[in-house]
Amino acid sequence: MKFLPLAAASLLFATLAHSAPQDDQYVLGPDSQVKEGVPQGKVTQMPAWTNSKIYPGTTRDWWIYVPAQYKAEQPANVMVFCDGGGFVKADGQFRVPVVFDNLIAKGEMPVTIGIFINPGAFPATNPKEKPRSNRSFEYDSLGDVHARFLIEEILPEVSKTYKLTSDPEGRAICGNSSGGICAFTVAWERPDAFRKVVSHIGSFTNIRGGYVYPALVRKSEKKPLKVFLQDGKNDLDNQFGNWPLANQDMAASLKFAGYDFQFVLGEGTHSGKQGGAILPDTLRWLWKK
Amino acid sequence: MKRTLISLCLLSTSLFAKDVSLQDYISNDQPWKEVASGYVFTDGLCCDAAGNLFFTDVKGGKGIYKLDADTGKVDLFLDNLPGISGLQIGTDGRFYACHNKEQRIIAITMKGEVEVLLTGVKCNDLVVSKAGNLYFTETPTQRIHLITKDKKHIVADEGHVVKPNGITISADEGTLAVSEYGGKHVWTWRIEADGTLTGGAPYMTMWLPVGKESAAGDGATTEVNGSYFVTTELGVQIFDVTGRLSGIIAKPDPLGKVVSVEFAGKDHDILYVAGGEKIYGRKVKVKGYFGR
Repeated sequence: MKFLPLAAASLLFATLAHSAPQDDQYVLGPDSQVKEGVPQGKVTQMPAWTNSKIYPGTTRDWWIYVPAQYKAEQPANVMVFCDGGGFVKADGQFRVPVVFDNLIAKGEMPVTIGIFINPGAFPATNPKEKPRSNRSFEYDSLGDVHARFLIEEILPEVSKTYKLTSDPEGRAICGNSSGGICAFTVAWERPDAFRKVVSHIGSFTNIRGGYVYPALVRKSEKKPLKVFLQDGKNDLDNQFGNWPLANQDMAASLKFAGYDFQFVLGEGTHSGKQGGAILPDTLRWLWKK
Repeated sequence: MKRTLISLCLLSTSLFAKDVSLQDYISNDQPWKEVASGYVFTDGLCCDAAGNLFFTDVKGGKGIYKLDADTGKVDLFLDNLPGISGLQIGTDGRFYACHNKEQRIIAITMKGEVEVLLTGVKCNDLVVSKAGNLYFTETPTQRIHLITKDKKHIVADEGHVVKPNGITISADEGTLAVSEYGGKHVWTWRIEADGTLTGGAPYMTMWLPVGKESAAGDGATTEVNGSYFVTTELGVQIFDVTGRLSGIIAKPDPLGKVVSVEFAGKDHDILYVAGGEKIYGRKVKVKGYFGR
């Protein structure tokens, strides 16, 4: 392959512009559209999180969605979204606030506060530099660091303003790709704090050792997690691994170990389109008691 | 590969690296070739703008050796400087060196005039930024030192990196990277405007030899697009700008070591390694960051 000079280091990509034909069959349904008469929750962009003790030196953007039905006296469920900036976008592939509005209004999911948080970046010291992304370090690493970041830094900050449930069954975490394995890692490490996982096109491959999960799931005492996995048959096959195989391996392991899980294997590529299209169904399943 | 590139376009506003695998860095038909031999323990690889490679023989040599980019011949370039373990040419055209044998950091003109910058340090390897800040590793004390452009000495980090050894800087000079000789990580820090280091983290994880807890991370350098090349017991490990291990280039001699790495040659596209008694080189598909 020719080395693409400008594309080289790190890029800002908008997803929708590049969708592959295998992904085009996945379109947003009615539950992902704003509906008249449905109460709309409020999305607030929070001041950038710059004082992380767990990831010192990083800065990150984040947003909070509070449903219209939220009442201060009633603790709300929580759902965290890795790479939150993509999930919260009103015209994005997922449109989580819209889906939440519709499902909460119909009683198909509980009153849930959404926390949409981007990975950290080290800001550049001068205009010639680029910020250094901490995403792979935060998301692809195994261990409890990211769980602690959410539990010790972000949830307490949100709890200053909103009443969040302390019941781990009422706490979910969702992500795509490296954010997908991150969501799993957070719940795997801290089932006392998060018990619901949604992973789209999850990187259960060897970026930073995550390929061990299928083996670990089989051999570890079952944890009280509910796990949703989605991948596409045309997802990545590269130096880190093969995404469809890795996700099938995860699903087989979750089945073997007796987990409450669901696995959807579509035709798509490394894209969020299918995950976005089926998100309302995913959430109905995830929050069903 | 193109499909992978496009499909990497993910779902958020965060920064992504391109998925680059080993085949995008090296050619199978351009294997390692021995380019110099007869030394005891080669080290300190660095290059100049013309692509000449400089190196030392830290245990047996006389000074700084030069592999000429035009002729391919090796000569003793500067005599009477035995025991240098880390070397780089600064923007002022002088060598900067970890004079390990004398436990000092020195600057050396191309004619051999020495200026002593710091003494009493068990220095191992160094990097000099374009801003004029010099960073070096002191392996036994677990310290990363900084000598600022106005020659102020600061201990920039201490006690985090297990046997800090190889050191390099990102292609935008905003990040410092240091390999662990006694662990499995390559640490990074953000370089502040005054040269000090913040936000240290074990950003890259080196692949370990089976049955070992240490990767024996050693010399490090930077490719022009920002990936890092680190010598280890298993070979030269390549990390992309987001710290993900992309591939491992095999050692020239499976039973030997690789302890220092640098790009040189007229187009800065020959990867050289110091492998014990010998220096090896191979043409690669990417170019080095330093000396250009």
